[in-house]
Formats: sequence, C-alpha cells, structure tokens
Amino acid sequence: MLTTDHQLPAHVRIDPARTDLALEFRRKRRGEYSLELQRLLYLMRWSGVGGRFVAFTLEPGRRWMLAELPGRRGVPLVLHRDQVFERLQEAEWRVFCIRWKALTGSSIDDLQGD
Amino acid sequence: MPDSTFVLGYATPLEAFAGERIQFHLSSDQVTSARAQVVRVRCGDPDPAGPGIQLVDVEALAPRDVALKHQPIQAGSCAVVPVGTALDGLAAFTLGAWIWPTTPGASRQTLMARWSAASGRGWELALDEEGCLEFIVCDGVRRASVRQAEPLRQREWRFVGASFEAASGRIAVFQRGLSSGQGVDSGDAFSSEVASQGPQGLLPSVDAAVPIRLAALPTDDTGRRTRQHFSGKIDSPFLLRGVHQAQALRALQGGEAWPLSGEAGEACVAVWDFADGIGGDGFADRGPLGLHGHLVNTPTRAVTGPHWSGRRHHWSQAPEEYGAIHFHDDDIDDCGWDATLSVDLPDDLPSGFYSLRLTAAGTGTLPGQQPRESHVGFFVSARPGRPTARIAFLAPTATFLAYSNSAMRLDLAGSEAMQEQLLVIGPDELYLQEHRELGTSTYDTHSDGSGVCHVSGARPILNMRPYGGGYYSMETRVLDWLDHTGLAYDVITDEMLHRHGLSLLQGYTCVVTGAHPEYHSAAMLDALEAFQQRGGRHLYLGGNGFYWRVGLRADKVSRLEIRRGMSGTRTWEGEPGENGLASTDEPSGLWRSSGRAPQRLVGVGFAAQVFDRGAGYRRLPDSFDPRAAFIFDGIGADEPIGWFGLRGGAAGHEVDRVEQRLGSPAHLLRVATADDLGSGALATPEEIAFGNRGVGGDLNAQVRADMVFFETAGGGAVFATGSIAWAMALSHAGYDNNVCRITGNVLRRFADPAPFDLPGSAPAAAGV
Repeated sequence: MLTTDHQLPAHVRIDPARTDLALEFRRKRRGEYSLELQRLLYLMRWSGVGGRFVAFTLEPGRRWMLAELPGRRGVPLVLHRDQVFERLQEAEWRVFCIRWKALTGSSIDDLQGD
Repeated sequence: MPDSTFVLGYATPLEAFAGERIQFHLSSDQVTSARAQVVRVRCGDPDPAGPGIQLVDVEALAPRDVALKHQPIQAGSCAVVPVGTALDGLAAFTLGAWIWPTTPGASRQTLMARWSAASGRGWELALDEEGCLEFIVCDGVRRASVRQAEPLRQREWRFVGASFEAASGRIAVFQRGLSSGQGVDSGDAFSSEVASQGPQGLLPSVDAAVPIRLAALPTDDTGRRTRQHFSGKIDSPFLLRGVHQAQALRALQGGEAWPLSGEAGEACVAVWDFADGIGGDGFADRGPLGLHGHLVNTPTRAVTGPHWSGRRHHWSQAPEEYGAIHFHDDDIDDCGWDATLSVDLPDDLPSGFYSLRLTAAGTGTLPGQQPRESHVGFFVSARPGRPTARIAFLAPTATFLAYSNSAMRLDLAGSEAMQEQLLVIGPDELYLQEHRELGTSTYDTHSDGSGVCHVSGARPILNMRPYGGGYYSMETRVLDWLDHTGLAYDVITDEMLHRHGLSLLQGYTCVVTGAHPEYHSAAMLDALEAFQQRGGRHLYLGGNGFYWRVGLRADKVSRLEIRRGMSGTRTWEGEPGENGLASTDEPSGLWRSSGRAPQRLVGVGFAAQVFDRGAGYRRLPDSFDPRAAFIFDGIGADEPIGWFGLRGGAAGHEVDRVEQRLGSPAHLLRVATADDLGSGALATPEEIAFGNRGVGGDLNAQVRADMVFFETAGGGAVFATGSIAWAMALSHAGYDNNVCRITGNVLRRFADPAPFDLPGSAPAAAGV
C-alpha cells in the first residue's frame, strides 16, 4: 500500500527576496534550471500550493486556457476563461506567480528583469 | 479541437480480421443522428509539429447516417444470485458475511439484499450514510428495521449479519471482529448485537424473479440498474434458516471448510464460496440448494480474506484464504449497449488502425470546440499464416487497454511534479473528469483508493482514437513513418498475438514493435522469442517495453488484468498477497520480477524516466564494427544523432539500457548511447536498492538510452533504440534526418531475407 503525502515538509520556507529564482524560471528552457530552482518547482508542483492548474487545449500547439482541478472526481474542472495563452511558457509563468504568492505572501506579477 | 464526445461508442470485436463483422455500440445525449464513415488512420496525432491528423476514407464502405439514442452506463460491481421460489416461506432467517469496508460513511452502501424496487418489498443489510450497520425488512406497507450506533472502520475485517423472525417481529444486527492479527479468531473478539421489535407477521415476500444481490441494491426490477454500491471486500456470505446468535456461528466465522459443522451446518440454506471460479464471473453455493451466482462488472478476485495467514502469497496455493471479492462502486466491464451499426469488413481490407468517424451539424459547448467529430477506434489484424508483406507492425493494443481512459493527470497529485511541466489536457479529459462511469485505466485507483486491475474494450475509450492523445497518438507516428518509407507492411495486434502465438508471426521477415509496447502476456513474449530464434528480425523502436506481466481472459475478448505488486514504476501498489492474476493463475507485476527482464528479449530494458528534456545519441566504438555497418550507412563518424523531436531529443520520455546481468546477450553491439539526459532523468525504483542521491542522469551512469544490435539464431536479428521519444523524431524536417535514416537502414536490411550470421556459429540458412 503506497502511502503518499502531498504536504509541504514542515520546515519549508521560501524567501520572498529570492526573486532571482523567479527570473531564472521565466528566462530559461526546461531542463536547465539551477538546483535551487528545481527544488522550488518541485515543492510547488508536488504540494499544489495555490491550486492544481492545468493547461486546457483550445487549439493543439497554438492556444491554451488555464483550468483548475477540483480535487474530487465527478466535479467539473474550473475553466479560467480570461486566462488564454498562445505560448505554454506564459501559462507556466502565470501559474508560477500564483504559487509564489501562495507560498510567500508576496506578488511577483509585475516583476521586472530578463 | 473537435467536439469528440457528442457521441461515444465502442466496437465489438475491438480487434478483427478482414471479412469479419464489427458492431458499433453508440450513445449520444446531444444528437439523434450522425454521419458514420469508416476511415483508416495513418496518423491520429493533431500536433502541428508532426505530420498532423491523416485519415483516409475506406471507399468500399460508404458513409451512412445512423440514428442515435442515449444509452447510460451502469458502473459498480455486484454479485447476483437467482433464487426463484427456493426461499418461499422462509419466515425466520439469519444472514451475513465477513466484510472489509473501504469507504464506510461515504454513502449508504448495500451489503446484501433481496429487494424489489417496484413493490418496495424485501430485505436489505447495509452500511448507512454514517457507516453503521442497518437491517431493514419491508412487505411494501409495514417495515421493521434495526441499526447499530457505532460505525464500522475502514480496512478492518468484521463478521456482520442480521436476523429476523416474522412470528415475533424480532429483528437484530450483529458484528464480531478478529481478535488478533493474521486471521486468527481466539474467540474473545469484539462482539455486539442490537435487537429491535418490529410488527409481528411481517413477511418480506418478493417475486421469484427477484434475486439476492450482494454489494448493491437494484434501482428497478429490470436487473440492469443498481445503486448504493458497496466498496470493499466481502467473504463467505451466508443465509441460514432460523434466528442465530453470532457466537454460535463459529464454523462460518472461522472459515471452516464445507460441510459446516454445528448450528451453522444444520441451519444452512446457502453459503457462497467466492474462492470458487476465481478466473471467471461465476461462484458456487456450497449449501443444499445450489444457489450459484455470478458477478457483474468484474470486481477484483484473488484477494485475501479475513483468514489470510501470509504463509502463501499466491491465491491458488491457498485458495481457502482467498475467498473474498473486492467490490468497487466504479467497476465497469461491459457497457451492454445495444448495437447501433453493423459493418461487414471487406475481405480485402488492408490491416491497420481504423476508426468509425462520426460527424454531425453544430459545435460543442466548450471553449475552442470546432465541428462535431468523434471517433470509435478499432483494429484490423492480418490473419495468421496469410501475410501480405515481409514486414509486420505489432500494434500494442494491450498497452492501449492498460492506459484506456487514463485519469492519471486528473487524479494523481504528483503528475505535474513527475512530468515537470504544466499538464496539458484536452476536451476528452474534461469529459472523463465528469463521467467516471466510463471506467478508468490500470494507472488509476478506484474511488476507495484500491488499484484498477481490470480493463475492458467493451466501453468507450477516449484515448484510443484520433485526436485522443496518449500512446495511441505516438504509435500512429510510427505508422505514418512506415507509410512514408513506401515499404509494404501488415498490422497485427497484441491480442491476436496472444491467441495465435508464433503462427501470427511466421511468414514475416521483420516485426516492428512501436514506441511503447509495455504490457505482455506470457504467450506474447513466448511468440516473439520463438520468432527471433527462428530467424525473425525484430525492430524495437520504443522504450519501457516488455515491462509488465498481464493476463488476458480466455472466455472474453479485450479484457486485460494487471496486478502491480511491490516493485516497478507504478501509480499504485497492490495489497500484500494479491499479486496473482485471477484470469490465468500466474504471478503479475514486472517481467523482471519473473526472471524475464526486457533485456533478454530486446537487449535493453527500462532504466529511467525523463520528462523535462530530450537528448541525442553519440556513436560508440561498437558502431564501427562491420556487423553494424548497415545501420550507419550515410551517418558521419562523429555525427550527433537525434538532437531534435520531443523536448529536443530522440532519447527521452522513458529510456532503456543494456544490462548483461539481466539478459542482454553477450554478443550484443552497443552502437550508440544517449547518456546526457541530465539531473531530471530519474532511475526507475527497481534500479535503486537503497536511498541515495545518485538517482539522476547527472550522477547515475545507468540513466541512459542505449541503441543496440544483435543477431539471433536462424539468421535473425534484433535492433533497439531504447527510447519512447525515438518515434516522435522520425518525421522531423520532412523525414530528412538521421533518426529516420538509421531506422530506414535497419528496416530495409531487416526486410531483406538474406540471413544474419550469429557470431561464433556457422553461416545461417536463409528464411524464417
């Protein structure tokens, strides 16, 4: 019997001043992240803090809409009709911002830098 | 994306030969008719980075309009015991069973009942909405009931029951627990009974046609609609004449063999043995009336009962300890839909992937949905002994079934962390989320958390058709490439291979297995091995192949069973003692755990998953061996191979490696490797003995994709690329790339009957 826990480990703290990690995520392709960013992304994705989001395909390879998993079978997904993207990377960034806020209390929606 | 769920359906049979009749069972709650056209699927993947959807109308089968109706799906398993008039006049009785509830309190769940929904007469033993034991008797007007106040706990065996006496009106429920572990009842277990007084002379008489049902209550008297499905195990249900106390039923509690002794034996009306007929849908009554029963929607058998001692871990070695059945409120076997359309396949229809395309006016309601277009996938296999080409592509239909209607990305909270990206889903998954009655895959769990062991082709499968995504889409990329080569090929299927064995492969010079042939029965592996050893050529284009050991039922087609055991990359783990296949009496789990790792068949076996990137291959010294010269014709000595395709590399997704200790032949040539997969490439758990930081491709040299070649007896040979992503690179740059070149080199040489020479042996004779 697998016993899998999706809680954040008790002593995890994300420093809101580490916006350099956010910039790294926004800048780099997948698979080339620093170990610190890999760790942060893993914690965000594993715990689902801020919401379990998916990209709903409107047009294959071309357009997606953010949707949220309800966490219960049989209940419809929540479609965020105002969140439509033409690049998956932008959808990823939007979700990253939502989770950063949930983890740190700080917003990086207007983060400047490359 | 098209509206692909406005009509749904399934084909029977799912896999057919040309000249046979296929029935399509269709249902729609949105339209009353649709235009139906049979199409051959050259490519079912809509990704604009690939060849795109390519469907070819089968002109010999003219399109036609079909009338549609809504056909509901009744999910949930149960047991049915027809009793006729055998119980007429039974005015005092005791009934019960051992139960192991998994979701007490989630909803009202019926344990055992003989109930007429139309007349409101009969009796029912249930766990109520709070998980408390309740017994009700009703004659349509008067009602007696009794309830215990303490709810049952999940995953704990309890001997429960009820008694009723019409003359006195006394009604009671009781339960007893096991006092110690490993199935031993010392006699001083927890025990309680609650009795109540109902009206005297109440007789719950029902029509002879009303059966006894376990694990569900009928919704109506048609027998097709049920509700209040119980989730959990039931073992040794019984029915006795007269009123008995739980303590007196030691023979039943103790799992005594038949005939029963003492009070239980004397009063026995029926005692059902769920250990009887474990491989099928029937079970026996050991009592004097022979009230045998059958199961609906394939609950899981070969599961441990309350007396499992742990001394044996396979059901047939101690069947008396496996007399339980695990029922689920979301089991589904055969939707039982009426056939909407019959199609007689032309005798000369080429083998291949096919679909019944259904279109109608109007558009779907979801954002982005275009015209209504749905598909019902099916397969036409070449017949044994009648090849029409030298090459055969083995369609991995067993793997398609294993993944059928996968809800992994909806339910498995770790999916996004595993895949290292925002999950991309389509309209089909949106539909599946709200329509779990379709039944999900062997990667999913039932609503009670137990693993899905059984899947069926007699239900709509959303991800085994054009636009449906999944591994079906990937495999059609291989079909597309085969069409591009211009070489003639047949398509054969896994279930046909299982049933016909070597006779299906003989006559072919080369068999191509695709991107992800993951699930195999013993018969399928035996046939492939025999083919290779008789001069056959096997081109394995994928990764994570030949990994899981499955059973296919002999009495029903398109039924696959898997038990995931305690090892492997898996999304659920089986319960202790439950790794044996009910359908075939074999162990399940990994083929590696059965001493038959993939390396033995194809030289490489599952090493790692990698979802954050892909990588290319570099040539190794073995690639310059003259035996491998044909593979690298037109490839430069230092030319990097396959730095394009899925996530940027032909090596990726899941990758396989050489390991001589697991069976890679000693004379194998390891001609190339992709070992720059990075820290996000993670070794599969069975490759790691104990926790340590070296699980990733940055630290672990076993995390890689190996490209290999070796000769086999009789002039045969095997070539493998060790990567699922290889197939997705074939069409890159208009098929002008070195992945396509290498694969084409091998395919053309493998299709040439000139024998290969097994190193160290005399030159082989030609032919398979």
